[in-house]
Amino acid sequence: MSTFPAFRQDRQSQPELEVVQARSGAEVLLSALVGQGVDTVFGIPGGANLPIYRHLPQFPIWHVLVRHEQGAAHMADGYARASGRVGVCMATSGPGALNLVTGLATAHFDSVPVVAITGQVATPTIGTDAFQESDVIGSCLSVTKHSYQLRDPGEIEEVVAEAFQVARTGRPGAVLIDIPKDVQQAHLGDDRPLGRLRRHAAPVPAPEEQIETAAAHLSLARRPVILAGRGVAIAGAQSTLLKLATKLDIPVGTTLLGTGVFPNPHPLSLGLVGFMGTGYCNRAVTDCDVLLMVGMRADDRVTCRLDGFAPRAEHVIHVNVDPAELGKTVAADCPIVGDARDVLERLLAQVEPSSRPAWRRQVESWRLRHPLRHPHNGRLQPQQVLRAYYARRRPADITVADVGLNQMWAATGWSGDEAGLFLNSGGQGTMGFALPAAIGAQAAAPMSRVFAICGEGGLVMTVQELATAVEANLPVKVLILNNRQLGMVRQFQDDFYGGVRSQVDHVVTPDFPALARAFGCFGEVVEDLAEVGPALDRAIAHPGPAVLEFRIDPEAGVFPIVPLGGTLSEFVECPYP
Amino acid sequence: MPIPVTGSASSPRLLCVRVEDRAGILQRVTNCVSRRGHHLLSCAVAKGPEQGELRLWLRVDTGIQPPEQAALQLRKLIDVVAVEDLTETGVREWTLGLFEFRAPFARGLEPELGRRGAQVVERTPERLVAALGGPPPALDAAQSVFAGLGLRDFARGRPIALQPAVPQEA
Ligand SMILES: Cc1ncc(C[n+]2csc(CCOP(=O)(O)OP(=O)(O)O)c2C)c(N)n1
Ligand SMILES: [Mg+2]
Repeated sequence: MSTFPAFRQDRQSQPELEVVQARSGAEVLLSALVGQGVDTVFGIPGGANLPIYRHLPQFPIWHVLVRHEQGAAHMADGYARASGRVGVCMATSGPGALNLVTGLATAHFDSVPVVAITGQVATPTIGTDAFQESDVIGSCLSVTKHSYQLRDPGEIEEVVAEAFQVARTGRPGAVLIDIPKDVQQAHLGDDRPLGRLRRHAAPVPAPEEQIETAAAHLSLARRPVILAGRGVAIAGAQSTLLKLATKLDIPVGTTLLGTGVFPNPHPLSLGLVGFMGTGYCNRAVTDCDVLLMVGMRADDRVTCRLDGFAPRAEHVIHVNVDPAELGKTVAADCPIVGDARDVLERLLAQVEPSSRPAWRRQVESWRLRHPLRHPHNGRLQPQQVLRAYYARRRPADITVADVGLNQMWAATGWSGDEAGLFLNSGGQGTMGFALPAAIGAQAAAPMSRVFAICGEGGLVMTVQELATAVEANLPVKVLILNNRQLGMVRQFQDDFYGGVRSQVDHVVTPDFPALARAFGCFGEVVEDLAEVGPALDRAIAHPGPAVLEFRIDPEAGVFPIVPLGGTLSEFVECPYP
Repeated sequence: MPIPVTGSASSPRLLCVRVEDRAGILQRVTNCVSRRGHHLLSCAVAKGPEQGELRLWLRVDTGIQPPEQAALQLRKLIDVVAVEDLTETGVREWTLGLFEFRAPFARGLEPELGRRGAQVVERTPERLVAALGGPPPALDAAQSVFAGLGLRDFARGRPIALQPAVPQEA
């Protein structure tokens, strides 16, 4: 295990740590970050944030030097997802700041609290197209919850406090603080103007009548289904969800981001819902008479064609902390604005235990009729690799999936009974997420083993961060499911675009073990099923970062899959024996 | 059930938005509207009733999106204090117009201005400028009459409105 600076011993418990006397704007910023309990920052220095880096060594903050700012944003994101704390990334102005945008969008879409701090050109030169000037506030407007451009060092402390509060309260999200270089350098006089720190109220508890109505609908339901998303994990409501489902005997499906909020396998678990969800979950949603959606949006990957989403439901109960999510896509006759835990606890207190043997038998018959299957053709199947991997999982291990077929195989194969251990980019579907997010998660959870599951396409989008992992001594393990293709796109082309395979073959892929070694990592390639387990064991035993390339069946696809424009019930199953 | 939520193809709303008067606030508000796929038809801005606040009146066409979304999404902006959807509240909208006429003036012009309650704000031998306030349809009607009376140019403000006496649920 890596050696972490001594100050990393759970800093959150002592957020008021005494630090260096603050003087310049940069020092005030760093001191304010420490005051917020920040112990780790991911970033790259440059012209417009050098005053901050000038003072950084004086503060008890571990700075992880990344190789690309997108990596910094994903690392802050992975750090936040793994710890529940606010992740922090830093970049210089212009290209540095703009390189953060994809990472901020990724975090923001998945309601992850991240604060980005960007350097900006000096105030008098803003608007003159100065060297490395960019309108990062404008560029990030729609991918952040809020943003600030500071004009006075006197504002820094309060803005930092507010930014952290905005990032983590209500529906969490990304917040940007843009600090012109002269503001970082300015010295704070005694007469510094004090702004107003705006307090952001916690959500008001949902009215009792709504809880009563929802409880009545659930109790009287004959064919109820619960769908749960990441909001359940954010609210810390997974044990309440399990109790409610068990008390009412209701099967539970999860969204991609909700993977882990309900134990899987479990007699009531329906696995993943939606576009690439399990056949039995999609059948159950299609047939349910009462649907409870909690801590989730209902985006198009969940609902597929809207008029085929829960078409027989007489009542839809939708619980979300963000009022704008209710009724945005799916009409709910029982919309409840509230924290998932509060609402589920109150529902649990209201309902009587019940059982639904007929409905459960029906769901079981779908489970038997529509199992997750994969071909047996002598070639290495991704599911075989993942089964061997998941068999080696320890309870606190963190799995970070990238995007593409690899992500869906990893999600549908996931097993465990704790939330927050399967991380992936659900809302944006950002290729290149897994490696840097895994590095961030490892920084947040030094005692956990962290694995990134990647396609060969996604990995090379951020592969330079292997250097960061080695340098920062963060021993993540990267498992590449190499099908030598942009696999998910290839499957779309096969299934939905007339079979015309266009620009999906990776004729050239790197020699991944050699690439890994070039960065100072352990690297191996695996082609046979018999070698999968032993290779995993060697990679796990290696003390530092490791890369395993699994040469999988290039034709392997994700099944079931709902045809584009189709309804949930129209899923297509694996055509191969 | 559940019926997919979609508005009709054209669904104009009138929103009154109270915001903190901070740099960039208009950009945030207009970005929020367009980012959500709505069409911003008009925007009027004035100082708000509270110190440090602005009040904006937005006409927004939410198109096929659920009409409530415009207000719901705006409420999420940190600098937005309150959003009132005035669309079906029966509020009286008000707008202002300046109308320019050039000499030679039509014979019926001044009586017409008088009849409509317009105020002459500038008069020289070459030009006459009249101001008229009223609900948007009244100004539309006046403008088309003025067109036949030598109207050369005009400037029309965007509608503003006060909340109805009995607050409605937004
Ligand atoms: C940054 C980015 N670019 C493009 C896409 C579109 N896309 C989705 S999946 C995919 C293919 C991913 O290929 P690979 O990483 O090899 O994973 P596989 O599907 O083969 O497992 C692409 C190109 C995306 N999601 N993200
Ligand atoms: Mg691939």
